[in-house]
Amino acid sequence: MTSTWGWLILLFPLVGTVVISLGYKVLPGRLAGWLGSAAILGAFVCAIGALLSIQDRTPEDRQVVSTLWTYASTAKVDVGMTILVDPLSVLMALVVSGVSFLIHVYSVSYMGGDRGYARYFAYLNFFVFSMLLLVMGGNLVLLIVGWAFVGAASYLLISFWYRRGTATYAGLKAFVINVVGDIGLVVAAFLLWSKTGALDWTGVFRGSHEAFHTNDGVIVAACLLLTVGAFAKSAQVPLHTWLPDAMEGPTPVSALIHAATMVTAGVYLIARTHPLYELAPTAADITAVLATFTFVYAATCAMAITDLKRIIAYSTISQIGYMVVGVALFGYANGLFHLMTHAFFKALLFMGAGSIIAAMAGEQNIDRMGGLRRAMPFTYVTFMVGSLALAGFPPFSGWLSKDSIVAFAFDRGGWYVAIGVAGYVAALLTAFYTFRVVFRVFSGEPVEEARLLERGELAHAAHRNPLTGEEEDTDVGFPGPEHHIAERELPMKFAMSLLAVLAFAGGTIGIPDVSDVLERFLEPTFADSAFQGVAPSDTAEWIGLAVGAATAAAGIGAAWLVYLRRPGLSLELARRFPRTHRFLERRWYFDELYDLTVVRPLQALAAFSRRAIERGIVQGLLVGGAGGLVRGGMTIARTIQNGYLRAYALLLLTGLAGLGLYFLLQSS
Amino acid sequence: MILPLADVPAPHIDYKGLSPLIALVGGTVLVLMAALLRGRFVQRSLLPLLTLGTLGAAMGLSIWVWSPGDHRPIVESALEVDALALSLSLVFYVAGIATVLLAHRSAALSDAGAGEYYTLLLSSVTGMVLLAEAANLITLFVGIELLSIPLYVLCASQVRRRASLEAGLKYLVIGSVGSATLLYGLALIYGAAGTTSFAGIDRALGDTVSLSDPLLLTGIALACAGLAFKASVAPFHQWTPDVYQGAPTPVTAFMAVATKAAAFAIFLRLFDSALLSAQFQWAPALAALATITIVVGNVGAIAQDSLKRMLAWSGVAQAGYILAGVVVGTQKGLEATVFYLLVYLLMNVAAFAVVIARERVSEWGDGMRALEGLGRAAPWLAWPMTIAMLALAGFPATAGFIGKFYLIDAAVDGDYAWLGVVIVAGSMISLVYYLRVVAVMWMGPMEVRLPSLPGRPRTAKPVGGWSPEADAWAQPEVTLVAVACAAATMFFGIWPNPLFDLVADVGTSLASLVG
Amino acid sequence: MNVVWFLCLSAVLFCIGGAGVLIRRNPLVVLLCLELMLNAGNLALVAFSRMHGNGDGQIFALVVMVVAACEVVVGLGVIVGMYRNRIAEDVDAMSELRG
Repeated sequence: MTSTWGWLILLFPLVGTVVISLGYKVLPGRLAGWLGSAAILGAFVCAIGALLSIQDRTPEDRQVVSTLWTYASTAKVDVGMTILVDPLSVLMALVVSGVSFLIHVYSVSYMGGDRGYARYFAYLNFFVFSMLLLVMGGNLVLLIVGWAFVGAASYLLISFWYRRGTATYAGLKAFVINVVGDIGLVVAAFLLWSKTGALDWTGVFRGSHEAFHTNDGVIVAACLLLTVGAFAKSAQVPLHTWLPDAMEGPTPVSALIHAATMVTAGVYLIARTHPLYELAPTAADITAVLATFTFVYAATCAMAITDLKRIIAYSTISQIGYMVVGVALFGYANGLFHLMTHAFFKALLFMGAGSIIAAMAGEQNIDRMGGLRRAMPFTYVTFMVGSLALAGFPPFSGWLSKDSIVAFAFDRGGWYVAIGVAGYVAALLTAFYTFRVVFRVFSGEPVEEARLLERGELAHAAHRNPLTGEEEDTDVGFPGPEHHIAERELPMKFAMSLLAVLAFAGGTIGIPDVSDVLERFLEPTFADSAFQGVAPSDTAEWIGLAVGAATAAAGIGAAWLVYLRRPGLSLELARRFPRTHRFLERRWYFDELYDLTVVRPLQALAAFSRRAIERGIVQGLLVGGAGGLVRGGMTIARTIQNGYLRAYALLLLTGLAGLGLYFLLQSS
Repeated sequence: MILPLADVPAPHIDYKGLSPLIALVGGTVLVLMAALLRGRFVQRSLLPLLTLGTLGAAMGLSIWVWSPGDHRPIVESALEVDALALSLSLVFYVAGIATVLLAHRSAALSDAGAGEYYTLLLSSVTGMVLLAEAANLITLFVGIELLSIPLYVLCASQVRRRASLEAGLKYLVIGSVGSATLLYGLALIYGAAGTTSFAGIDRALGDTVSLSDPLLLTGIALACAGLAFKASVAPFHQWTPDVYQGAPTPVTAFMAVATKAAAFAIFLRLFDSALLSAQFQWAPALAALATITIVVGNVGAIAQDSLKRMLAWSGVAQAGYILAGVVVGTQKGLEATVFYLLVYLLMNVAAFAVVIARERVSEWGDGMRALEGLGRAAPWLAWPMTIAMLALAGFPATAGFIGKFYLIDAAVDGDYAWLGVVIVAGSMISLVYYLRVVAVMWMGPMEVRLPSLPGRPRTAKPVGGWSPEADAWAQPEVTLVAVACAAATMFFGIWPNPLFDLVADVGTSLASLVG
Repeated sequence: MNVVWFLCLSAVLFCIGGAGVLIRRNPLVVLLCLELMLNAGNLALVAFSRMHGNGDGQIFALVVMVVAACEVVVGLGVIVGMYRNRIAEDVDAMSELRG
């Protein structure tokens, strides 16, 4: 029964994709959107079914492997269409399908004016299918397939407005960086397969325990390669630069793929392969250090930039850094707890951002916003809930989940304490930049658009590319001519209010000492871990929570001071420290660094190759060689094929003579 | 003198095992007789239905006869009804059914007369079944001629079209040279072994006949050339592009899949069972032929403008891939060969169906340009063609990929790893022309963008070459064949297990092969 | 008589037939040459049948005769088709399909 639920989870979005993409011409109005939402709701219901049926089993029996069919077990590769239903995959499936459902509902309204309405939902359903395949896949091959599929879906959705140059460029950038990750993943899979002879999870884990001793060179390399894959997908430094640009896609896409689900795949990957990381603590430590750097770095960037969606994108990078630290320090339940709450509040924030951007007629710069509170009360309240959760203010969900990670770092002791300290520092910054957005957007003097809205009109302006300011033609596939805000659209309201409730109360399943539901639920998956049951004492956790609450309050207070109490202060600070400001605004010059170290040298190399290698070797030898060989062969084949029957008979008899000669030589 | 002859005991005939053949022959006669009746209903509906019924009945009987693991010769060791024969019979029946559907609106049908057309088709199928079941040299020859002679006529059936006549004449003359060569080779093998039954030859080869007997080796060489001709293996392939292009396209589709399957059936029977002891002698030669075929076929296909010609050349290359499964002489090779033939049926019929649908309405005939912009205009045709091309090129998630993988795997397992490399290299060259078709369909300029004026449409379709008949569903049976075959190609690409089970059964049918 | 002589004769017949297909342009003569090749096979079969003392080869030869007749019929049909289309009686005239 459990496995049936598992397969049904995958079936629903797949059917949705097929139906919508085949029927895109005949589906009237918003039916495509509702169909897509219904498919995801089906998947969510099945995920609940899987949850209930897996809880019915004994804890030792909660890892259900189900194979639909096996591909050729030739060449000693035994790969099947296999899913693994265990607490981890069920949790991921629940989060993915649940949040996806709400975002689908939100999109039904939000994308209502878009030309590519059905196309959008076909992509979105395809994404959900791929993501579910990724988390449910029972072996490395299916994981890689799902991994590549979500990459493709992400590429398609970033470039959704394909006539927008910046969007297609961003899609390409995301794709290229993700391919780097894919290569890492594939090579890691190959390493593991060559050493353990298995590709299914249980086989790999069992085999690696036999094949490797702790910190064996191969296993460290394999884990580092897995980390490369995880970092590319989860936008961690140094493979993070694609995520802010991915905000070129429609806002619900940012909410779903680039905040709540796909980018957390890296966290899932590390949690899933935890037996390998525990065999290679060095790799886990490197991962944790890089992720620590990431969350601090991204938080500083978010303080200086002014694009609403990009701020949230950097905050996503930062929060995923926390999750990666959580799982890389072997506190799996903590990382996954934060993954879940983050999915709630970050999706909520993006939905709010979408509503704000719609109200501002496509404007994304927070410097041009202000005073929207009275015009958009619903958006304000929900956005506030999301912000408080992100800032880690008690009793919102982010407070509990983030601090569980930090507290665990302190508990590990040694140099891990530094990670914990960095966690608090970044938490302070987080609270600050989060409320910078809130105060800039909702407080202060109402801008023109806000006043229009208060009078009951919705601002409409020519569509401009938020990045370059070019005017765009809504007839040919840019965001449609109409805007939709949460205040006026019931589906958007429904999705946002539900998420607001979750963002507020989602933490209740992980209150230390009171309810460790999540930890106990996940126990069967991590039962083999050496760190199972290792947790800070309740007192330590509560102290941590108190410090976290104080940090959040301090950050919010600082933001209040800078942006509300003394509005000129931020500008003054920027003037006083122009270099720092510029450094942060240019996001530590990472793009420029890559441009200088990777792109430029590659371009130079390419130019050199074009001049020297291509003209000399490629055109001279390969094209003139292989290509010439093919072309020459073509000419010969066609010359021989001259249409004369007798010539054909001649070749036939010549071939016969050759064959006869060969056989006769054998006889002597 | 007469009396002793009267004592000859009648051979025991297993009518159950023979029933598919009896049904086919009966159906052939029935169709021929029914064709004498005049009337539009008879000619347009009854005859195709009778033909389909015959093929369906034969298919049903074949499945009824099928019992896993059981293979005993019937009719005094003339025929062998085993899984190999039955599974490939399915290919012939399906190809026949597809041809009937594809030919429904064909000009050849009225030129040749529907009755004759279907009768010839059915007798060709009978010949193929006979060939696949052949267990001695005489049935082999009868089968191969029974399948070829109706095809000569079918190729020339558009008697008023010069190309059709030319195809018929070329096929006939070159084919007869091939048959004569084969016959001479079979005569020499008989001379060396002293018996015509495959089992007898197998026994003699290990026992009384030396493997370096020149008589035997010359015989093998000649038989090899004759069969290579039927399977369009280079350098005996030259008739293929010309005949494929000139013949009526439904006939081409039938030849491309069914003849090839029949030729490989007998390749497998003759080389992998009767002559298996001489594998050291023939395998290197066949491997060399396979290599030449892969190179020649892929190179020849590159710059073709006629789709039928391109598919013909690609068929030559595919024959090279399939030959690898015969060369290795292992059970896995046998399985891979049959597997590939099964999926080859699906992908090729899908491609030809689309060519047929287009050549009837497009001014470009079977030229590459006939597909231009098809992706927009008729996705129900463009998708099957895309899938067929990708499958032929061996893209993952299509049945073609699994088939090719199977063949390469068999080659590597059978110590012919270099042949596997050749297959991969050939597939890489083949991307050039397969993807070109896909590109033409999806990237071709279809809509002309007009300067935008208020209240006017912004785009317009070019006038030439597009008509209401260009719609995919104007010829529902053709589209149906294309879609069904393409869907099956995808289906078996994702879930190949039914085919795996089937070929695993086939793998046991030649007892002489090692596992 | 030694079977070798029969074999030699049949090989010579086969070669004459093959050469005829290669050099003659009249389709009728080409058909005749094809018959010659098939009959070379027949001769070999009958010779071997005698050598081995079993009837298989003779039965085979009988079957081949039927088949050869069928091939000729089809060939003649094609030649009649060529006549009707006013195509010269020359196999080289049929060379429009090429490349």
